[in-house]
Amino acid sequence: MSTLKPVLSRTFQLILVLWAVVTILFLMFRLMPGNPLAAYIDPTFTLEQQEALIRQFGLDESLLRQYFTYLGNLLQGELGYSFRYRTPVAERIWLLLPNTLILTFSSLIVAYIFGILAGAWLAWRRASRAEAFALPIVLATRAMPEFWLGMVLLAIFSFSLGIFPAGGTRSAGTEYESLWSLYTSADFLSHLALPMLTLAIYSQGLPLLLMRSNMLDVMKEDFVTMAKVKGLSPYTIVIKHGARNALLPVMTSFAISVGYQLQGNVVVESVFSWPGLGRELVSAVSASDYPLAQGAFLMIAVVVILMNLIADLLYTFLDPRISHA
Amino acid sequence: MLETTVPEGPVIRIFRAMKLPVGDNFAMAGLIIYVIFALTAIFAPVLAPYEPTEILYTVDYDLASDLLPGQEGHILGTTSLGRDIFSQIVFGARAALLVGLTAAFMVAFIGTIVGLISGYYGGWVDTILMRLADVAFGIPFLPFVIVISAFLEPSIWNTVIAMALVLWRDTARVIRSQVLTLRSRGYVEAARVSGSSDFKIILRHIAPNIVPLSLLYGSIAIGWAILTEASISFLGFGDPNSISWGFMLQDAFASQALSRQAYHWFIPPGLAIIFVVSAGFFISRGYENLLFPKLGR
Amino acid sequence: MSQPLLSVKNLSIVYEVPNLDVVAVSRASFDVPRGSIVGLVGESGCGKTTMARAFTRIISDNAKITEGSMDFDGKDLAKISEREMNDLRWRDIAFVPQSAMNSLDPVYRVEYQMHEVLRGRGGMSRSQAKARAAELFEMVGIEANRLRDFPHQFSGGMRQRVAIALALALNPKLIVADEPVTALDVIVQRQILDQMRALQRDLGISIIMVTHDISVVAYICDRTVVMYAGEVVEDCETATLLSKPLHPYTMGLKNAFPDIASAGTGILTPISGAPPDLARPPAGCRFAARCPFALDHCRSVSPTLMSFGDDHSVACHRAHEAEALRAQAALPETWGEIL
Repeated sequence: MSTLKPVLSRTFQLILVLWAVVTILFLMFRLMPGNPLAAYIDPTFTLEQQEALIRQFGLDESLLRQYFTYLGNLLQGELGYSFRYRTPVAERIWLLLPNTLILTFSSLIVAYIFGILAGAWLAWRRASRAEAFALPIVLATRAMPEFWLGMVLLAIFSFSLGIFPAGGTRSAGTEYESLWSLYTSADFLSHLALPMLTLAIYSQGLPLLLMRSNMLDVMKEDFVTMAKVKGLSPYTIVIKHGARNALLPVMTSFAISVGYQLQGNVVVESVFSWPGLGRELVSAVSASDYPLAQGAFLMIAVVVILMNLIADLLYTFLDPRISHA
Repeated sequence: MLETTVPEGPVIRIFRAMKLPVGDNFAMAGLIIYVIFALTAIFAPVLAPYEPTEILYTVDYDLASDLLPGQEGHILGTTSLGRDIFSQIVFGARAALLVGLTAAFMVAFIGTIVGLISGYYGGWVDTILMRLADVAFGIPFLPFVIVISAFLEPSIWNTVIAMALVLWRDTARVIRSQVLTLRSRGYVEAARVSGSSDFKIILRHIAPNIVPLSLLYGSIAIGWAILTEASISFLGFGDPNSISWGFMLQDAFASQALSRQAYHWFIPPGLAIIFVVSAGFFISRGYENLLFPKLGR
Repeated sequence: MSQPLLSVKNLSIVYEVPNLDVVAVSRASFDVPRGSIVGLVGESGCGKTTMARAFTRIISDNAKITEGSMDFDGKDLAKISEREMNDLRWRDIAFVPQSAMNSLDPVYRVEYQMHEVLRGRGGMSRSQAKARAAELFEMVGIEANRLRDFPHQFSGGMRQRVAIALALALNPKLIVADEPVTALDVIVQRQILDQMRALQRDLGISIIMVTHDISVVAYICDRTVVMYAGEVVEDCETATLLSKPLHPYTMGLKNAFPDIASAGTGILTPISGAPPDLARPPAGCRFAARCPFALDHCRSVSPTLMSFGDDHSVACHRAHEAEALRAQAALPETWGEIL
């Protein structure tokens, strides 16, 4: 029960942050150079459409009234109409969100499994030749522009070797009965492979370095020494006590990585023409489709903030010192 | 243990006084890369055989497009518009240096000031500033920079300002907690009781202890800034008047360099970015070992 | 008399630091008789903890046993293979650490850590382990339902009892306890020591009690081994040690600690100065620099541990004058003049 209070206060705090981000977004799109109506109204809309939008978003009223209308609309999930698609922004975003989430989570899961294992291994081989060789490479992967890595993989595996398709989520002409059958098809997975690999290579550095340094610290702890004195098996000592304790902060970092990854997706989705939120944001900004850009930005921000919260909560639940206080 | 036997020149001594991480192999490698990088940027016009945007022709008056490395004396070949890739790489160092240093300076400067004020004065000032930092943590960094760069005039400055508006948060939090621990130390307490002005205490007792941390976060920000600028340029929201490595990659990508397997075009800019950004990481690693020896290894 | 359970002979342990060897334990010899509690007493850094850990052969990576033997029940712990050693760990030789807090894994319930030993090392079934764990908790006076708690949910004294219960899990012959009560207040100290004494008697095990606190030794130990700067300087029955100490260091230690049984009487006189650097030990007696009775001879010739009277060994050139020295040592001013 005692864990409930910090959870609630943290949640409340993040709702405030969300409100602040929403407000910044409002100001960003309202105070940009040019016609303030441009945030919602494209000149090519019919007069009736324009008037309906002016009414819905209170665009003829004061900035303050507009702000409250905007908040009210947001609470109802109302994000306006996309200029290019002539459809509600919310509809478009819900369509793209799964693609982004699939890409993000699959790449991070791969990155974390690899990073955790490799990090533990490097901790075990500390001060070895393997470490001297691996560490600069890991640091270098963190220094890579993700889109460049994507370009290199694309050039090699798609254009030179022809193993994987060059972009999109499915081959031309393929149809699927449901989203589920699409997402589980071999075609979809082969499209997913390269962008997923790109993001995974970029992201493995954080869990790897974290796991390594945590392992090095944990293996110096008294309870690890005691496990040796107890004559427990090396597996029990290294995995059950060493890795289990070192894993705690790494797991927390997963949620934070999701937030970072969503931002990095913007460029990688563009390289692989992956129809996700990031690519949509870029193309919407380029095409001055402001409502869509605003909606995509907001959705990304919501996931980032949500993941920050989950990171905190994970920590609370994974560490018995806090959850069983 | 070794460096004590090496006679220390004045440069090393100055570095030491600034608490620069001499002696750490990683950091030294990083510093050397930075020096090469800075020299390249400064002497770009001397080093580059051509103007980076100049459209070149072969001796037969054909467009010198898509030349491979070594052909017609182009070290790294040419782009499909007939521009010299090596010269673009050399000039790209200028854009990277400009973005990296200005962004790092702004991030370290804003972050340090906010952290100092927040930690030193505490109370409602602290609450407000730290809530602001929370908000900055809630803003998706790259999308924010994209939107700002697109709405304002696309320029290096706008990109740098957009970055600084978000990235100050990390530095501010770290500096703040450092100031909090410093503030509780005896000598700061003593200075307060003896009636020294806040300004004097901050300048004399607190600032010297947090400058290394500011430098650490500044050196991390250099890498972030260069990577971000590359992404922004790659997406087409960069400064159209400057040749940056990100711009080169966008040019290559848009000109089908991938399907034509023009590796000589898009590999070098990426490597250049990796070198410079990892140099920043190496230096910050060395710094961390120096500042927090316990974390090292 | 029967064979001692553990017989340590000429044991040396060296820490290998780059360009430097630190001899933490130097040619130490003593016996642990069966069914007795032997105290290993000395200041921090005197090598007692290093030696205690050497009985499990879990010592730092850079530490090496360079000479000597540790005969435990017919096996030389310094020589047997790692496999044989690991067989003995916890089944025959268990350990009670100084801080049970840090030596219990914070992320597992105590029950899990109990079962880890009972099932993983004792080969018990789940139900056997469950029953045994409850029995062990009862033995140390904790309710069995607290097995489901995490380590941080216990108080300091309770945690120490948990550590003792863990050590008893597999009916070991020897328990090495490294400062098991140091972090606790005096009342809890006494409760835990009483309990250890009772359990030791009931179960007929032997305990090596490592401590810096001579009052703990006085309270519970049958025999006491005094260590100084890596060397054993005196070894005899505790009663003899307290009434007729032969080594000036022992006399000094006695003055420096309150009596655990009657806290707060008498004046405490610390021994001034600090122990020598073990990387560059001085010639002659290592205690000479702090000894109020040191002669020139003491500073040049190192005394060896010699039998002196009935079952009493000491390493001091002036042991034969001990009676006179004891009288002087009882005066606080004797210890105040040393530089």
